[in-house]
Amino acid sequence: MPELLEKLSFYLDFPFVRYAIIVGVLVSLCSSLLGVTLVLKRYSYIGDGLSHVAFGALSIAAVLKITNNMLLILPVTVAVAVLLLCTGKNARIKGDAAIAMVSVGALAIGYLLMNVFSTSANISGDVCTTLFGSTSILTLRVEEVYLCAALSIAVLAVFILFYHKIFAITFDENFAQATGVNTTIFNLLIAVIVAVIIVLAMNLVGALLVSALVVFPSLSAMRVFKSFFAVTVASAIISVVCSLIGIVVAILAGTPVGSTIVAADIVAFGLFYSISLIQGRGV
Amino acid sequence: MFKVVLAVLLAFAALFAKEPGGKEKYDIDISRMSGTMVYGQVYQMVTYPSKYLGKHIKMKGFFSSYYDEELERRFYGCVIQDALACCSQGLAFELAKPREFPKEYPAEGDVITITGDFDFESDEGGGGFPIIRNAEMQTEK
Repeated sequence: MPELLEKLSFYLDFPFVRYAIIVGVLVSLCSSLLGVTLVLKRYSYIGDGLSHVAFGALSIAAVLKITNNMLLILPVTVAVAVLLLCTGKNARIKGDAAIAMVSVGALAIGYLLMNVFSTSANISGDVCTTLFGSTSILTLRVEEVYLCAALSIAVLAVFILFYHKIFAITFDENFAQATGVNTTIFNLLIAVIVAVIIVLAMNLVGALLVSALVVFPSLSAMRVFKSFFAVTVASAIISVVCSLIGIVVAILAGTPVGSTIVAADIVAFGLFYSISLIQGRGV
Repeated sequence: MFKVVLAVLLAFAALFAKEPGGKEKYDIDISRMSGTMVYGQVYQMVTYPSKYLGKHIKMKGFFSSYYDEELERRFYGCVIQDALACCSQGLAFELAKPREFPKEYPAEGDVITITGDFDFESDEGGGGFPIIRNAEMQTEK
């Protein structure tokens, strides 16, 4: 144990490890907050769809040799998130079908572009690290950390400021509309925030594992807690703790960062599920 | 008195030059790090080489070499892979005591440990690459 602590303290001396921990905590906190809303609105899989869209946009940015790829990834992901979340019941292609179509389409087009207009000597490596986020969190630049911190603070501020409106829309959109809440504007706001979180979270766990950050902490918290507020707070704590454990285990044991964080989330879900069984709350 | 002072100075010099147990002291010992950390550290060294110029480095990885026909020069590298083994990064090295290739070099993919000083070799096109100079190489059997 003292050896592990010594090793951890040695690793913490490296700035890129500290950046990874800061970004990991911020991203997991933001994703868990919106995760509760997305799970309750039956949009659990939107994280997956949007992260694939972000992957497609990243491929286009690579082909066009855009230095700051965020300038393309963020607007494209936000636009698709708005399309998916705001067209709602009036859409000709509805809910899960639209997400599945966008998700698979963007992934295929992204991979196709990367292969046809190759700009790197190691395409499979680039694709692999983007999809699974093996080490991208340990290769962040200082500017990216600042950008992530600014976007995370903006997301947290919006969530706290409009907590009651988000709560109302999450549970009963029609009732919220009847009571004077502009549901269109707030659905748009949720869509934008979700897109921002997904783009940020891609660095942490990779495009294929983003959904885990959105879904697992919320589902774990819902096993034990029942009010929206308690679930949101518990979800945030679970998400941050799991991300910290995942990053620390990954750098100590040399495992891929993204999948180690998700593994920690799965263990937490198992733990909370067991607690709910002991409490007699069932599944 | 002079002998005592000299002995103390020599003892201090030895203390700072070597770690206990006769081990060399390194500014960055990548061979002690986990796979994930190694990948992150080598990425930093390749991306921001100016921060590491002159640092005494120790790294462990796979031996690799290639011959550049345009430059008529053979490059030797110590390559590491990330935890998913889909991405690899490496640092070129130049041995302090040149050896004959391929007779005195390990086979491609053999595990090697390199110690030496970090440097950046600029090329004519304005680019360049990081390289470990005055290197010593040990092959893991």
